[in-house]
Amino acid sequence: MCGIAGIYAYHYAANPVDRAELRRIRDHMAARGPDGLGEWYSQDERVAFGHRRLTIIDLSERGAQPMVSADGKLVLTFNGEIYNYRQLRASLEAKGRRFRTQTDTEVLLHLYAEKGEAMVHDLRGMFAFGLWDAEKRALLLARDPYGIKPLYYADDGWTVRFASQVKALLAAGKVSRDPEPAGLVGFCLFGSVPEPFTTYQEIRALPAGSTLWVDRVGTHETKQYFSIADTYCRTEAASSPTNDEGQQLGAREGLLDSVRHHLVADVPVGAFLSSGIDSGALVGLMRDAGQREIQTVTVAFEEFRGRREDEAPIAAEIAARYGTRHTTRIVTEQEFRNDLPKILEAMDQPTIDGLNTWFVSKAARELGLKVAISGLGGDELFGGYPSFRDVPLCVRALAVPGRIPGLGDLIQLLLTSVFSQSLNPKAAGLLKYGGSYAGAYFLRRGLFMPWELKAVIGADTARLGLRRLNPIRHIEALLKPKPRSSFCRVAALESSLYMRNQLLRDTDWASMAHSLEVRVPLVDSKLLSQFASITAGNGSQSKHLLANSPRVPLPPKVVERPKTGFTTPIQSWLQRDNRIQEWRRVPSLAAYKCAWARRWAFQVSAATAGA
Amino acid sequence: MARSGSRILALVTEAFGGHGGIAQYNRDFLSALASCDRVEHVIVLPRFSARPVSAVPTGVRQLRPVESKLAYSLSALWTAITHRPIDFVFCGHLLMVPLAAGISRVLNVPLWLQVHGIEVFWREHSALERRSVESATMVTSVSRHTRRRLLQWVGIDPARVKVLPNTVDPHYHPGPKPAYLLERHAAGGKKVLLTVSRLGVERYKGHDRVIRTLPRLLDQHPDTIYLIAGGGDDRPRLESLAVEYGVAKNVQFTGSVPPEELPDYFRLADVFVMPSAMEGFGIVFLEAMATGIRVIAGSQDGSRDALGDGALGTLVDPENGEELASAILAALDDPVRTGDRATRFKPNLFAEDLNALYKLFSAKKGRSCAALASPQRREMTV
Repeated sequence: MCGIAGIYAYHYAANPVDRAELRRIRDHMAARGPDGLGEWYSQDERVAFGHRRLTIIDLSERGAQPMVSADGKLVLTFNGEIYNYRQLRASLEAKGRRFRTQTDTEVLLHLYAEKGEAMVHDLRGMFAFGLWDAEKRALLLARDPYGIKPLYYADDGWTVRFASQVKALLAAGKVSRDPEPAGLVGFCLFGSVPEPFTTYQEIRALPAGSTLWVDRVGTHETKQYFSIADTYCRTEAASSPTNDEGQQLGAREGLLDSVRHHLVADVPVGAFLSSGIDSGALVGLMRDAGQREIQTVTVAFEEFRGRREDEAPIAAEIAARYGTRHTTRIVTEQEFRNDLPKILEAMDQPTIDGLNTWFVSKAARELGLKVAISGLGGDELFGGYPSFRDVPLCVRALAVPGRIPGLGDLIQLLLTSVFSQSLNPKAAGLLKYGGSYAGAYFLRRGLFMPWELKAVIGADTARLGLRRLNPIRHIEALLKPKPRSSFCRVAALESSLYMRNQLLRDTDWASMAHSLEVRVPLVDSKLLSQFASITAGNGSQSKHLLANSPRVPLPPKVVERPKTGFTTPIQSWLQRDNRIQEWRRVPSLAAYKCAWARRWAFQVSAATAGA
Repeated sequence: MARSGSRILALVTEAFGGHGGIAQYNRDFLSALASCDRVEHVIVLPRFSARPVSAVPTGVRQLRPVESKLAYSLSALWTAITHRPIDFVFCGHLLMVPLAAGISRVLNVPLWLQVHGIEVFWREHSALERRSVESATMVTSVSRHTRRRLLQWVGIDPARVKVLPNTVDPHYHPGPKPAYLLERHAAGGKKVLLTVSRLGVERYKGHDRVIRTLPRLLDQHPDTIYLIAGGGDDRPRLESLAVEYGVAKNVQFTGSVPPEELPDYFRLADVFVMPSAMEGFGIVFLEAMATGIRVIAGSQDGSRDALGDGALGTLVDPENGEELASAILAALDDPVRTGDRATRFKPNLFAEDLNALYKLFSAKKGRSCAALASPQRREMTV
């Protein structure tokens, strides 16, 4: 788990690689990999790889990166974990391949030598890597199916540069800072920047589940090798166990298998613990997988003590049930105020979330952890969000009127001009968007509506960005092919948008800033194929499958507790912070009823634009 | 009948028989394209041709120029229809892209667009122009700068926009100061600053910036001549500027230089300077570097590419008179001549890269035809 970087001066007229530049990009990510650093340069100085290492598997120097294959033909710089590397290694050894280290890194090199880029289908885990194939004189970039690990690249027409973070690419000053209106608009609409865009025109995210070749003519088009919607479609076609008992058995087996895989490490693996089912069940499964010592950590707030929002007591109860070493870390307003500049600095791309992950990661690192398990992904996999109910309802109600051409636009225009201040902006868009899954999802998750952007980011940026992003189309594209059931459609959207661009990306920057690797056993392509058919049938009642999976069951109050949105006092701390009051200049944001997230979004984009 | 390769229709402003950087680029491009593997021939339809066309390379057929815009459009369509089958359309100038995109749609073949510089970053662009660019299967740009500026207003996958820089003719190579030019410009024993460009009314090339630094330079190097080579409408303004700054006797205007004398003009000079602010690439920088003289260029545009980000010459902020003056002074203090410094832009490398781009383009052809046939993206408005 690390930071990776690379430069490939592919164009015949480009200058050779500048070593100082590579080091600046790499060392901007020092927090991602404090345990070691490495660099590699091709003999002709056209290619350079850099690496910052957080040692987790094979702690020895032999595991250092960039790693060169024994024959010198392949070079790899890799960030992530391949959880099935031992199985892969065994089958490669059976084919006569000889290994020099105990790392998953070396497995990737051999696997590529064996299968070429098709290797990505065999990998279970989270990864982002750059691989130099000296014989083809080509660079392969690849990213895991869900996009757990980030990978950004910038091609200026002569030279391509890649790194784990946007800000690292900018650090050496050779990548253009021209803004990308589509990225900015996407952030305002969704609360996170939708890939492949970033807020910079020249920098793109390699989309989740994709590969990209760079050769003498530069970057080729990205190739998608995994799609969540497609996985749902294929499993819908397959049959699933029908009786409850069979389902529960299958679920437990699948979950335990995933947890077991996610525990592979040569350092202790801890866990984030909240009062919810997801993290609690995972801790239970960690026990079932045979881990005896488990360090768990919960973040709590003085303001919530004794109130319903306080997660600490229930988390402590779960911890006690599974016999973990448990720590409740209190975060105060003062600490938050002190950390805020650091948070904005670490925030790689603008986002309205990630603050909580920052603190829980900080707490885990204080406890000496390098790796922590998180329950992220449970709501997507098991239908835990209200959207699983609301979106299909909305579509059913509005599908017919929504099809009348022009009616939605007309009503939106009427409502926004007549009730410009008083009406909830989403109400105006109800008919315009509500009749399709993409539109209804947009309404559910949207932060601003397109017609509000003018006031927030200016008319030109809004117009350009909306045209380029085309938000509804952008969402629709993630539903191709389209699953049949409403559950699978919403699950595909939540996983390909909210989870990918918001939750996973925030988890990455907020945890890596503390040199902590977060592992997400519920975000796993193998698990998805196993579960898609089961959950599709059960709809939003699927959470019990997770809750009932640990051998020692969760305390009943955890399972029966109605789902509350995760709340923190951070919102009110931000409201009071006199350093972030710029939103008051925008009338629509200063309006009394404006949601805080919108003000915070504006604040964040202002802070990151200046960076 | 079996064909030996692709047939290409090239719509260009000018190519064989034309003047200036774009004509030169088109000649290099079309000649190299015609010699790519699996290219049968290229039919070139130019708008202009200044001189009678003496020779075109094998595989290229240049039709008679058609100057009027309407007649050109009709002629292009007629050529496309009568010369079928055409495998793809090459468009050599952004101004023609709506026409070229229309023809490629009519023929249902892919479009390859070439962009240069000022036409990309100077004007407002119509929606038709933008969509036409977006319909291109591949766009080649002379520089990273032009590419970046194009991507600001065009919504196209950046992977489809490639950079193919200018190349430089082998006639440009180092040599002694030619006697006939020393005599013509009374330059014996003097230091020579040179700018070569059209003196366009756009006024972005930076002659005026150089003239403004001259009083300071002449303090240190009184025997310096500033040679302004090239004709154009901006000359009177520059002449009066030279008078205004009291340097008129040190500034000489050559008017248009015959192409065969141009390499010698570079050899006559000690320093080539053109602090332009809106260069797409600047082939003159390559010509200067190939003759081994020192080169100073602007740092804010495509000139960066020509100078290899400063590895091959000195880049200055064109708006910063101080920076420009000290760069020229440093060059005059030490007017060392090197060997050919434009080797990375040689024609063989250009041709190899074009061949690789052509292969990539051919591989994409199939898919983009289908994409072209589908209706335009529906757009969202604020």
